[in-house]
Amino acid sequence: MTARTRYFVIISTLVLTVGVGTGLVAYYVGFPAGAFGKHPGPEELQYIPRDAAVIAYANVQEVMHSDLRQRLHKVLPAGTENGQAELQNLTGINIETDIFRIVACMYPDASAKNTPGEGMVLARGNFDEAKIEALMRDHGAHVEDYKGKRLIVSDTVNVDKPRTFALSFIEPGLVALGTGNVIHAAIDLHNGGDNPQTGTQSVTGNEELMTLVNSLDTGNNAWAVGRFDALTANAKLPANISSQIPAITWFSVATHINGGLRGTLRAETRDEEAANNLRDVVRGFLALGKMSAGARPEMQAMMSSLQLGGDKKTVALSFDVPAAVFDAIGAIHHDAR
Amino acid sequence: MTEVAPRTPHTAPRTVSSAFRIFDLSLGQMLWSRRSVFLGVLLGGPVALAVALRVISAMYTSGFRINGAMTPGSTIFGMMIWLLYIRFIVPILGVFYGTSLIADEVDDKTITYLFTRPIPRRAVLIGKYLAYLVCTILLVLPSVMLVFFLVVPTGGSTVAEAFPPLLADFAMLAIGLAAYGALFAFVGTRLKRPLIIGLVFAFGWEPAVLLFPGYLKRLTVAYYLQALVKHEMPQDSAVSMLLQVFREVPSVGASLAGLAVIVGLTLWAAGRAVESREYILEQ
Repeated sequence: MTARTRYFVIISTLVLTVGVGTGLVAYYVGFPAGAFGKHPGPEELQYIPRDAAVIAYANVQEVMHSDLRQRLHKVLPAGTENGQAELQNLTGINIETDIFRIVACMYPDASAKNTPGEGMVLARGNFDEAKIEALMRDHGAHVEDYKGKRLIVSDTVNVDKPRTFALSFIEPGLVALGTGNVIHAAIDLHNGGDNPQTGTQSVTGNEELMTLVNSLDTGNNAWAVGRFDALTANAKLPANISSQIPAITWFSVATHINGGLRGTLRAETRDEEAANNLRDVVRGFLALGKMSAGARPEMQAMMSSLQLGGDKKTVALSFDVPAAVFDAIGAIHHDAR
Repeated sequence: MTEVAPRTPHTAPRTVSSAFRIFDLSLGQMLWSRRSVFLGVLLGGPVALAVALRVISAMYTSGFRINGAMTPGSTIFGMMIWLLYIRFIVPILGVFYGTSLIADEVDDKTITYLFTRPIPRRAVLIGKYLAYLVCTILLVLPSVMLVFFLVVPTGGSTVAEAFPPLLADFAMLAIGLAAYGALFAFVGTRLKRPLIIGLVFAFGWEPAVLLFPGYLKRLTVAYYLQALVKHEMPQDSAVSMLLQVFREVPSVGASLAGLAVIVGLTLWAAGRAVESREYILEQ
């Protein structure tokens, strides 16, 4: 065997060995979800456990600095500013500047009768960790350690199913707060990434959900997506009410907030017949809304911006509320005061 | 007094050791031949495509879309395995390399040098076949590996989830190369114009027979090989849809047994042909 043949065999074997080794490590130990590529949506999704029934996102900075927010700020009563100041005093968080974005998730709990499901909010921003921890400890929380991460845990009083509420700074500038189990899962995902072997998998591996996230992520600064059937199944609704609810499987809401408010509400139904029925219901409500708007120009502008769309199993209702509508509402509010 | 039995000649070890000598000689020849340029282009194509897909995915975070729906990287990788490797690269490598194992030596008039050596003729074939197998496996599998790491982490899929099917792909591709190589090695030793016959078989007979119901598809390599593929067969054309409709999937055991029979039988027949055939070199 000549030297160059030997080099070829060595290089080729090396590529295979490194590749197989990397794959084995990813399979048995797990890699952070972003190690080999970027998934759609905010990067915090990699810390959200796979089976989330609802996930929501808001780019807080974009919303806070939007024209709409500035307009609302002028017309809203002064009480809200006091609330913000109080929050800043207690936690050191100025919600105008310190929070960049928020990602939230929810998990309905079928085993509990009257308790809401589990959930978590991940907030990215600048936080005064010591101040927040001190505040929680003052209110009876205690500190625990979970796989090297500091958890500030508060036991909630619930007769039906006792739960813990926890907060953890899982990485600098990223705080997770929510029910204990979900925070633990988020820390597992942060430490080990997706690892099907141990059952820790993030929502980024949920192809159905990520397809919807991907469709919402571009051009919107706030959105929510979830399984409607999972929510209604755990809502323990009376039979006569649940039978009237359309057969919706997935729903999503996406908005872009800037000068006005533009967005789309989308529902995916079980079949085309259910979609047609839902479209008829929405059409009826739209007609009713337009009649009720009467001679009020701000309501007429808002109602005329509603557009019903979608095809096959999808029903979409888009809206585009111009800034003038909020000005008019503000003027009415001002006059009333 | 015990009678010592006469020692039988050690034919088996001689064949094996001779085959390894031929393997050693042929591997370098195969790797650095003009055919390897073609092989490089053939295997560089999917890697270049994967790089392009990755760049597009990085530039547009909306990912790949098929019919408006986001397509996970693992699905794209599965499509590439089907369309590029199973349906094209593996058969064509088998045809080009398999048919030339002996034919090239005949064309170059160098077969005499090998056949006049004190080694069994079948050792020449076995050594060259092993060299083909190592050469193609060492080129195809790294190419698949690169495509995997470039394509799979896009669109929401993860390396961890897609890794076990990748190992199955490696085994399937190696078995496919072995089966096509053995079959076309037999064609190369037995028939005239083996390249044309090989191309007709791989890209004419096999796809045509697989389209229709019946037992004829059992006379193809693809029938057994496709049963080992873990990925969903893409429905990229009317032909693919027909393939899907008339697809009979034998069990993994039956497929492996079928492929083992193809490899064993064709290599044995090729060995017999090399042993018995008189090669007349054209002047």
